[in-house]
Amino acid sequence: MAENIDGQDNLEQKRTDPNYWQSFKDLYNDISFTEAKKHEFSKGVTDDFDLSKLSNVSRRKFIALVSASAALAAAGCSDYRGNGKIIPYRTKPEEITLGVPDYYASTYVENGQDYGILIKTREGRPIKVDGNPDHPASKGKTSAKAQAAILSLYDPERLQQPLRKNSSGILMKSTWQHIDNEISNKLASINGKEISIISHKIVSPTSAQTLNDFKQKYPSAKVYSYELFNESIRNTAWQKCYGDKVFPTVKWDQAKIILALESDFLGTDGNKVEASRLYAQRRNNSDLDNFNRLYAVEGNLSLTGINADYRMRLRPDLQFEFVMSLLNEISKHTDSTIIDSAVMNQYNLYEFAQKNSLYGNILELLVKDLLKNKSASIIYAGRTLPENVHIAVNLLNEILGNTKLYTQDTVEQNDYSLSNKEELENLIQSMNSGSVGAVISFDANPVYHLASDFGFSDALKKVPLVISLSESENETSEFANYVIPISHPFESWGDAQTRSGYYSLQQPVISPLFYTRQKEEVLLAWVTGNYKENIYHDYMMNNWQKNIYPALNEMLDFNRFWLGALQRGIVKTSVDAKHVGSFDKTSLNSLSEKPKTNTGYVVCLRESYSAGDGKYANNGWLQELPHPVTKVTWDNYASVSVATAKQLNVEERDVIEISIGSRKLNIPVVIQPGSSDNTITIELGYGRTKCGIVGLGTGFNANVLLSKDGDVSPWIYTSAEIKKTGDTYEIISTMEHHPINDPLVSGVVKERKIILEGTVLGYKKNPNFIQEQRPENTKSLYNPHDYPGVKWGMSIDLNKCTGCGECVVSCNAENNIPVVGKDQVKVSREMQWIRIDRYYSGSAENPKISLEPMLCQQCDHAPCENVCPVAATNHSDDGLNQMVYNRCVGTRYCSNNCPYKVRRFNFFNFRDHFRDGYQQSNLFDLVYNPEVTVRSRGVMEKCTFCIQRIMDARAAAIREHIPFKGSDVRTACQDACNTEAIKFGDMNDKESEFYKYRNHELGYYVLENLNVRPNVTYLAKLRNTHSEEA
Amino acid sequence: MNIDYTKELALVEGNPRLADIDELISRPLTQPVTKKYYIALSISGTALLIGVYSLWLTLYYGIGMWGNNVPVGWAFDITNFVFWIGIGHAGTLISAILFLLRQRWRTGIARFAEAMTIFAVMTAGIFPVIHTGRPWLAGYLIPYPNQHLLWPNFISPLLWDVFAVSTYFTVSLLFWYMGLIPDFAILRDRTVSKVKKTIYSVFSLGWRHSNRHWRHYEKVYMILAGLATPLVLSVHTIVSFDFAVSLIPGWHTTIFPPYFVAGAIYSGFAMVMTVLIFVRKIFDMENLITLNHLERMAKVMLLTSSMVAYSYLMEFFIAWYSQVPSEQYDFWARVVGPYRWAWYFMISCNFLIPQLIWFKKIRRSVPILFIISICANIGMWFERFVIIVQSLSRDFLPSSWHMFTPTLVDFGVLTGSFGLFFTLVLLFAKTLPVVSMVETKSVLEGSQPHHYNDDHNGEVGAGHANITAGVGAALNGGKNGN
Repeated sequence: MAENIDGQDNLEQKRTDPNYWQSFKDLYNDISFTEAKKHEFSKGVTDDFDLSKLSNVSRRKFIALVSASAALAAAGCSDYRGNGKIIPYRTKPEEITLGVPDYYASTYVENGQDYGILIKTREGRPIKVDGNPDHPASKGKTSAKAQAAILSLYDPERLQQPLRKNSSGILMKSTWQHIDNEISNKLASINGKEISIISHKIVSPTSAQTLNDFKQKYPSAKVYSYELFNESIRNTAWQKCYGDKVFPTVKWDQAKIILALESDFLGTDGNKVEASRLYAQRRNNSDLDNFNRLYAVEGNLSLTGINADYRMRLRPDLQFEFVMSLLNEISKHTDSTIIDSAVMNQYNLYEFAQKNSLYGNILELLVKDLLKNKSASIIYAGRTLPENVHIAVNLLNEILGNTKLYTQDTVEQNDYSLSNKEELENLIQSMNSGSVGAVISFDANPVYHLASDFGFSDALKKVPLVISLSESENETSEFANYVIPISHPFESWGDAQTRSGYYSLQQPVISPLFYTRQKEEVLLAWVTGNYKENIYHDYMMNNWQKNIYPALNEMLDFNRFWLGALQRGIVKTSVDAKHVGSFDKTSLNSLSEKPKTNTGYVVCLRESYSAGDGKYANNGWLQELPHPVTKVTWDNYASVSVATAKQLNVEERDVIEISIGSRKLNIPVVIQPGSSDNTITIELGYGRTKCGIVGLGTGFNANVLLSKDGDVSPWIYTSAEIKKTGDTYEIISTMEHHPINDPLVSGVVKERKIILEGTVLGYKKNPNFIQEQRPENTKSLYNPHDYPGVKWGMSIDLNKCTGCGECVVSCNAENNIPVVGKDQVKVSREMQWIRIDRYYSGSAENPKISLEPMLCQQCDHAPCENVCPVAATNHSDDGLNQMVYNRCVGTRYCSNNCPYKVRRFNFFNFRDHFRDGYQQSNLFDLVYNPEVTVRSRGVMEKCTFCIQRIMDARAAAIREHIPFKGSDVRTACQDACNTEAIKFGDMNDKESEFYKYRNHELGYYVLENLNVRPNVTYLAKLRNTHSEEA
Repeated sequence: MNIDYTKELALVEGNPRLADIDELISRPLTQPVTKKYYIALSISGTALLIGVYSLWLTLYYGIGMWGNNVPVGWAFDITNFVFWIGIGHAGTLISAILFLLRQRWRTGIARFAEAMTIFAVMTAGIFPVIHTGRPWLAGYLIPYPNQHLLWPNFISPLLWDVFAVSTYFTVSLLFWYMGLIPDFAILRDRTVSKVKKTIYSVFSLGWRHSNRHWRHYEKVYMILAGLATPLVLSVHTIVSFDFAVSLIPGWHTTIFPPYFVAGAIYSGFAMVMTVLIFVRKIFDMENLITLNHLERMAKVMLLTSSMVAYSYLMEFFIAWYSQVPSEQYDFWARVVGPYRWAWYFMISCNFLIPQLIWFKKIRRSVPILFIISICANIGMWFERFVIIVQSLSRDFLPSSWHMFTPTLVDFGVLTGSFGLFFTLVLLFAKTLPVVSMVETKSVLEGSQPHHYNDDHNGEVGAGHANITAGVGAALNGGKNGN
């Protein structure tokens, strides 16, 4: 604005025509106003805009900052999981293709059995365990525990680095270097005092070699091994009869008649995977003449018992008398007079039967069957039975010529058979007397496992140096000066030999997640004095090259042989199985003593189906796996018969006090139909006092009832006293308990046609008997949909299903199913997509059991689909009932309308809800199958027939330009099924094997009269009884 | 108590002057708020807050806070929904069907019943939203055009519910508001408060009691009544389809539509009776809402109770007759199964206790009617509980059977629904005329023109009201309209 240069006069002139004025000052041209008009801003207004006072951020810089912060906000606020760095492969490992799984052969050792496994890894992380098809015993199948081990690998409560007790007795974190130095020094200055290494059964030759080396370096070292449940009685009996140290393997598939005495060979007794596979081979509905017949005589209803064609209940302590009576009866019909007739004549099978309310007519049939099927039957006594029963059973099999069914190919690692009672007693004595300088618990938990009257834990307090090697803290590590974290088997090298015919190899599939070393490495470091990476790998290769490879007579050079062996996970040897020796009659001396007759309560301790010996207590999948018989989860209990419960005046959930001598246990009761009277059966492996958050407070520690001297056997105790305490404890089962005689409930299964079944004879007579029971072809108002391409279906052979629950664990792993916890199972919110329904029929004393795996039936007329208001569940053109998680709003209408109740609802975010977000640990993110969505709360979910596997196979077929076939796909449950009871495939493919099962004359559908057209065919169970009536 | 039923009973007792009616009805709106009202409001408000807290827990943690489980996917949530929808039925029935049937006795109770309908439907409407696992996605139930070309599933009864309930709510609200317009005008004319006058003016839509207004009003009211009538039957029919269309034993029953409608009317009348017994006492409206009104409502209850009882029996008969094992089992389990106590509750409250209404003395005894109406409400809640929970807990496969046990949060939400309903009722009673002023005047003795026994201008009413110009003038209100 120009300055006024004209002075007052000109202003005067201008005043004459002020067109528009704003104020009087303006009108009269007040001098101050004109002055003020010269300035655009009044005084002080612009002070803040003083350039020197302004920040020196330029406009450029400002915009740069704004965009930078916008970018930051966009990047930072996006809900990116993990927030860790994502680094792409710069040089891609040769074997890894993103999105494509790799499988590694390995071995899982469980309770002295080796299972060949294949571990599926995705982008370097193991996510699923299946069986190794090349493994001679496993044949592509594996146990529930091996499958669930993948969850234990990612257990955030594993020990993550070495711990060391400080001067005030508190465990503090330490370093490997420090620990190695201290322990090496201490071991070096042990001054000839004993170093006791306590281990589980050693089946690894290289492990044994490591221990040998350790003993060489520290000559005062001694190795003790134990198993809570073991075959030692069976083995010593065998040794007495035949001279070989170990009981042979049984060719179950060659047995036409099987008599299981207190034995759960389909469940926990021995190699379950192999036994059930071989057993089920003889349950083939297209080979009726070779159908096997299973008799079971047992105290409590076991997995084997529920599969038996004839089952009788008998107190375990009467088994000896029973076997002797049977022996007497059999020898009457054979010309063998091995035993003194004076001894034999004390026993009479039918008198025994009458006295103990066994069915005489069934026993008659049994005797006939055994005599008719000489060399084609097997009598198998449970490992908890005393030695004399085993000897008598060996004799029976000998008389009947059944020794042909044995293969003497089992081996034990030399020098490392299980320690007997005297050895352990001596150990504890020396510990007490101070002659033991160090105890190393070598991945064992003797404080929890050993019978309390050994006084092990008190003795341990007197040992100056206690070292515990374990994956996570346990009862023994509480006493340890040093707690050494060891790697999970999937992070470790190893080998195993349990049979003469092959070695199994174990290779790591992930580098250790934490600062752990595998247990052999720990010892090797102390032996060699310096630890380096791969120390055990090198050691093992070396051992193989030196000690095993030469005997194999391989054509390949060692390195090539080694890589091939690792790839297959198995090395077969050409060692022939030994022949079973001749029967040593001196062993029969122990049969001559007349057993005491007990009428009091007998307590029978058994291995748990899921918790093992307690090792798996912190594994949610196994804890939540329903018990195959009672369907109880998360707890163990005392199972008693109906009559015993009445006699004790207890009901389910009432807590009883069991006292055997001075040993006492309070435990709740579950009333088990089919249990023998006055028998209390308890599964061990629960009630851990020192374990992770999952296992803490589950069940009761019945190990306290163990005595080092045993009674009838280390697991069977008579003269127990039972008292009702008046307390109750909640036992949770996934199936509601209905009194078996409730008129409301009995008959429901039959009249609704939930289960159809028959007998072998009935089927032979009328092959159409199932089809005749099916409803007439039900009409539909609508035209059926066309499924011109592939249409998926499943078929479950109930002759082969043993109800073990392997499929449940496999499904858990494959489909990212959360663990919900006891409180949620209590309100029936378990999430497992497949369950095994178990129904009793008949009397409460001798019930018949029917099993039926239940999963989404993928109905053609799915009732869930039409009620979903948002079309979140709908039908695919290959016949699948799909579930669109993103679309689901969670009305639960579909679940209400599902007649099979196989839909599962996320009532909470279970990962967050279970044990204070335990499953939300970052580590558990690694176990999830990346092909399957992790469902949020409020979403319905269900079995999808492993749609991710279908899509994978379809993509592969498209990629390779080959027609997509139904047999290309195997579901997770099918993979896991030990007995191949589950078949899956394309029902439109008339050539396929599946087509046969789909249209089998034994096939029926559950609740078929509802006309929802389910696509899971059940092949009716045939009981191999002597009558045509089911 | 000798009532001559051959003659129509006086619908308004005590021969009030027209001005008295306005005065009486609008009194609660002008009087200062009393302590009693605050006590009532704080009780219902507390219940509402309990509900809000329970709902917050549900929304924050998930449906798991309730007792629902896998066989029993629906429990208190849908029980409450059907219960409240049922409560809403009396209003439409009274306002629409009874209107079309020229049942003039509806006048005294229509306004309140309609308001209760709206509040009950509002309460009910909460449940379909909150019962979902992810209520923030409940919008998926609404058909809106979207780029995924995804529509809701039009064959799902739950979707029909959405349409049925929202339609019902809209029509009921319009109907209610329609009837309120002349009353708003009266209030506008009476009030001296500027604020109130503005509000009433807005809501009265410029009503001037003119003949033309009345003609339009009567026509629209008639049309809306015609529209609402099928809704009375359709809403609960469709709600019953939620069950009838499924295949669960105990749900899959063709008798459900009439059975549900009868039950709904039964429970609706019971709730209206419960509330009106208080209202007529507190607001001195015993002359407007007379004992005769209560008696007539009791008779409707007796009728609908009998229909419901017939349905109960018919269900059992069909279960037996059908020879479907699961169906037979389900009904047998109702009587002897683990939820039998709920069934006994239902039978005694919905069938046995209402039989007392046969007795005139009981029909005309307010305390007993009150007890019966409370029983009816409890019974009808249990009816839905039995149908939903009992049937689901024992469906086809015994392996999946499981009992339902409610949690505290379940009860909290139930309490909250009552809290919301009664809070709204209380606010309504204090802000709007609980009885239609204009309609009451129209049913005063002598308010209608008649031409018998006189040439014209029947001078009835003993001079209380000088009714000369027929209804229109009478309805102008006792004031000098300008």
